[in-house]
Amino acid sequence: MKNYPIWKSFTVISLVLLGIIFAIPSIIYDENSENWFLKNKINLGLDLQGGSYLLLEVQLDVLYKEELDNFVDSARLISRDQAAKIEKIDVQENEVVVFFANKEKIKDIRDSFFQMYRGVTLQINNNKLIIKLNDEYRKIIQDSAIKQSLEIVRKRIDESGTKEPLIQRSGKKRILLQLPGVKDPERIKDLLGKTAKLTFHIVDNDNTSALQNNLAPFGKIIVPDMYDENTKYLLDKRAVVGGENLVDAKGSFDQTEGHAVSFRFDTEGAQKFGKVTTNNIGKNLAVVLDGVVITAPRISSAITGGSGIITGNFNAQEASDLAVLLRAGALPAPLEIVEERSVGAGLGADSIAAGQIAAIIGMVLVCVFMILIYGTFGALANVSLIVNLFIIISLLGTIGATLTLPGIAGIVLTIGMAVDANVLIFERIKEESLKQTKVFQIVKNGFDRAMSTILDANITTLIAAVLLFAFGSGPIRGFSITLSLGVIASMFTALMLTNFLVYMYLSFANKKELKL
Amino acid sequence: MFGLNKIIPVEPNINFLGLRRNFLIFSILAMLISILLLSIKGLNLGIDFKGGTLIEVSTKNTSIGELREILSSSYSDVSLQEFGNENIILIRLQNKSNQESIETVNSVKNLIQDKVVEFRRSEFVGPTISSELLFRGFQAVSFALIAILIYIWLRFEWQFGFGAVVALTHDVLFTLGLLSILNVEFSLATIAAILTIAGYSINDTVVIFDRVRENLRKYKKLELVDLFNLSVNNTLSRTIMTSLTTLLALVSLFIFGGEVIRPFALTMIIGVIIGTYSSVFIAVPTLLIFKFRPQDEDD
Repeated sequence: MKNYPIWKSFTVISLVLLGIIFAIPSIIYDENSENWFLKNKINLGLDLQGGSYLLLEVQLDVLYKEELDNFVDSARLISRDQAAKIEKIDVQENEVVVFFANKEKIKDIRDSFFQMYRGVTLQINNNKLIIKLNDEYRKIIQDSAIKQSLEIVRKRIDESGTKEPLIQRSGKKRILLQLPGVKDPERIKDLLGKTAKLTFHIVDNDNTSALQNNLAPFGKIIVPDMYDENTKYLLDKRAVVGGENLVDAKGSFDQTEGHAVSFRFDTEGAQKFGKVTTNNIGKNLAVVLDGVVITAPRISSAITGGSGIITGNFNAQEASDLAVLLRAGALPAPLEIVEERSVGAGLGADSIAAGQIAAIIGMVLVCVFMILIYGTFGALANVSLIVNLFIIISLLGTIGATLTLPGIAGIVLTIGMAVDANVLIFERIKEESLKQTKVFQIVKNGFDRAMSTILDANITTLIAAVLLFAFGSGPIRGFSITLSLGVIASMFTALMLTNFLVYMYLSFANKKELKL
Repeated sequence: MFGLNKIIPVEPNINFLGLRRNFLIFSILAMLISILLLSIKGLNLGIDFKGGTLIEVSTKNTSIGELREILSSSYSDVSLQEFGNENIILIRLQNKSNQESIETVNSVKNLIQDKVVEFRRSEFVGPTISSELLFRGFQAVSFALIAILIYIWLRFEWQFGFGAVVALTHDVLFTLGLLSILNVEFSLATIAAILTIAGYSINDTVVIFDRVRENLRKYKKLELVDLFNLSVNNTLSRTIMTSLTTLLALVSLFIFGGEVIRPFALTMIIGVIIGTYSSVFIAVPTLLIFKFRPQDEDD
């Protein structure tokens, strides 16, 4: 084995051994192993192990509208303080226009308003004050809403007992959820489908004409009953206390009322609640969740202990889910599911099995073909091909990449394409063998000449794979990863391993002439 | 040893470029027909790009007709299809809004609950997402073509880049045309397949161009047509060999890889064949438009 440096043999052999050793964890695939070595296994994507993928969009429009409503309320309050008369208020898509009777106080009002809402654009036009929701202000609302939503979603998912969920922001206003092992996401969707904004309001029983006309006076709101749309309540718009003051909530069972949710306020909440219940004995207190009244019991005595129960027509699951929602807190805005993909474990297992069969059969076909065409050299290329597969698997395992169904397709495709580098080399050797007779020189020239072609050809494939990664989503990324690793591994195996094997073969067989 | 490679002579002498006019006409026709097909018939867009709901179920003691009857009484736009074998059925629904879809999945599940062994998968893609995905897929393919063009331009002379992109555009159009005729579902995986085809076809083209460049230096007196012919012949056995091994792997994937991956495998098979054809019959003849000599002689 003249001309073959020892360091090179050593490098090739160690890389091959590493490739094989680190493929072991993925081949054994012990799901629960805590062993540091066996933990380096391939992660299976949701499409292979079963699970749910959800993409949620935060309904920011609701928030912008809410903020415009706040502007209206604040403008009225400030104007009342300044004794300025408002003629009318126009709420448009992006702005609130307040028409004053005269323009005397308008500048003061503008300044007070600016104190409350820094960052909004305020314009005075004659007797009009225009309050604009500008882009920066929207962005502030958007960012804080997404941050808050992420946190609340995370809490709710954790409470639901899902193992190893992945929850992350995606783009400007979306949240991406991956829930391995969840095959029926209905309950999760229910949990995420509610904003869970809980507030307590005093009921106004005196103003019956407002309810009849369905027209709430300033400072009041009309809210329907949860179970009967036709039953409506006139409530103080201002909440006595809200869900943000809750420290605990859990499902409980009440002898007379059935399933209920018991809750406890923090100190501030308990004080507010105590004060209001003390001052309003005899009135009704409405418990409002997401714009409907769950229940509105009469305050029979002051509640100063800071805890209570909410009763409704709950069953056990509903009560405990409501408790989960209350513990996790309210979402700043509703979430809408814009994409959902759920795969059952059965289909995942079928896909893995089918992928394995396709890979093995593809491998056998290619190997047989190579031997038929190139004889011994083909067999050497097959060794490289098999090692190539091990290296892909070990790389996937050690970098913690996720294998998806398209990823498996990428591996099978690589099996077919990986021999290309070997073919290029062999064809060059074949040509060189016509020009000269020195066996080792032929081989050396063959490899050298093929090198630049192999690089050029593979880099173009890598470009396509990288762009696929940049623009693709989920499973498709899995494909681009296996394809890229396959291409890189095939360059190594062809240029180094096949090279080594060919030299070894020629040295040991003591070939005097080379006919491919 | 077998050494069947001797079937293909080491220095074959086939006059590929002599036939270039026929192949050019064939390819131009194929591209025109593809464009026509794409604008009239269009592609069979899957839910990734069209939006909607898809539910895959495995059933027991029931027929697809029975399920169709149950569902079509509630939904006018439902379509059912056997998927692989008669016990596995795909249900597709078109939904207008996100909210509607979630309710749909639940009510479909309730309607057929007792006929179903397992809900194997359910997918829902909302209207905003599907148009985004289509746009991003289009972006990915365009950027890939541009990036490949730039790479070829850097590594070779710009004329080669032009030839490569003509061949690539041909491959993408021709493949899409065939997908339209065969009514193959067009999904995210198809976009991946098309990009891979672009990578594969360019790979093939680069190998031949590499040889053209080498021969341009080696044989300074040779006529361009003869030189191109020689280059194609030099690389012919490699071109055939690599296409065959790739096709072997893909056919295995098509037959054994399962129902979900089948459209992907089929698209790849079509693309590899077209890509190999275009490297030889489109990319190389395109180079004839340019006069490489004498200015590139001492390159």
